[in-house]
Amino acid sequence: MLVRQTWILARNDLRQEMRDFELVATAGFFTLVVLVMFGLSFSSLGRHAQPMAVPGILWLAVAFVGSLTLTRIFDRERESDTLRALLSAPVDRLAIYAAKAMVTLLVLLGCCAILVPGLVLLFDAAAPFAERPLATLCLVVLGCTAYASIGTLFAAGLSTSGGKNVLLSVILYPLTSPALMFALVATRTLIDGHPGFDAYLSQLVALDILQLAVSGWLFESVVIGSNAAGGRRRPSTRKD
Amino acid sequence: MGRKLPLALFAIGAGTFPYCVQRVFLATPIERQMGTVQKIFYFHVPLAWIMMLLGVVCGVAAALQLRRGSRTAEAVAISAAEVLLVAGLGVLITGPIWGHATWGKAWTWDARQVSTGLLWLIFAAYVLVRHYGGVGSERLAAALAIFGAIDVPIIYYAVKIWKTTHPDNNVVGSLPPEMWASLWPCLGALVAMSMGLLLIRTRHEKTEMMLDDGWVQIEDLARESADKDKS
Repeated sequence: MLVRQTWILARNDLRQEMRDFELVATAGFFTLVVLVMFGLSFSSLGRHAQPMAVPGILWLAVAFVGSLTLTRIFDRERESDTLRALLSAPVDRLAIYAAKAMVTLLVLLGCCAILVPGLVLLFDAAAPFAERPLATLCLVVLGCTAYASIGTLFAAGLSTSGGKNVLLSVILYPLTSPALMFALVATRTLIDGHPGFDAYLSQLVALDILQLAVSGWLFESVVIGSNAAGGRRRPSTRKD
Repeated sequence: MGRKLPLALFAIGAGTFPYCVQRVFLATPIERQMGTVQKIFYFHVPLAWIMMLLGVVCGVAAALQLRRGSRTAEAVAISAAEVLLVAGLGVLITGPIWGHATWGKAWTWDARQVSTGLLWLIFAAYVLVRHYGGVGSERLAAALAIFGAIDVPIIYYAVKIWKTTHPDNNVVGSLPPEMWASLWPCLGALVAMSMGLLLIRTRHEKTEMMLDDGWVQIEDLARESADKDKS
């Protein structure tokens, strides 16, 4: 039931996206711009420095694009006030979270399809991405899942509260940093050909499971609040 | 008793702290490898423990706030995060001083350094969201605190799962008795001060909540009477 509802909701979002490709086009273009900017800044790095720079470039670009994607996904809902309608519909709240996280993940993976070949083209140190495509795919999927799992929860929470969008960056960057740190270490081991790559990948899997579980558990409380939590009312006229 | 407890804790802290300084600098033997700079350990380690403890306290209180709507838990979460920022600042200042003297570099991007810095950033984000987030953002901030609490075991195990230059978790356990005798009073004094701050800030936050409730009631009454006058 949950899987079916998730699929229906995700398909609805994807169908909406297929009509104008707004999200894919803007996020894809932004990825390209970030890639060119990183290329301009770091292309002159020496052979020894490049392997240390490439993982950072990859995951920083994912963080920037992810923030843009999450803002846009929930802006749509906010503009037409459809998230409120969705939350009052007889749909499992976990399915709403899973659908949004899935769409975010798909957009991020689409951006990585530009980012990873771009890095291979611009930096010699990124050649292991092309030499070990399956390992790269696993790494990118797990890293993006870690980002999307947390990002979706907070972007949804922000869209239903009175918070400003700028807060998403304030929340998202420190909070996704542990996940990006795990992904960064794993990418470095992939580039270095380190035998511990599989172990680092398993750590990333554990982190993904933990983050998905906690985010799924918190989604309803964050987006609509628990029955017990009445929410704190603040006076409109009182000046501190 | 409730009002006097923070004062009692501050008194314990103020009374114990000069004794700590005397013990650390005059009565504890100088560590053979690191020399005098190792004395910073007696302040760095307790502050780091307090920081992690407050992270867990904030996360648990935020979970209670989110699930049960507890006002007290909300006040405890806010105050724990703020005191954590102070303790964390202490850790992030004393750590690099110690690192500079022993490793020759203040910040080595070691896994434990990074995860401690991230924990501090997450709770700084929590405090920012609480202060500037607007209506409804308390739920968002609570979720942020829960993820911050999850970062605590990552910090603890960082030295085990990644290659780091930071001393591992067994170092404290293997201290000689005379070093333990100095560490205990330092820990006691700093815990007493932190708990005192936590209690005072919690009470302050609860008072602010009650004042907010009072103002909301006054606003509601004023609105009702204005509606009556119109009709």
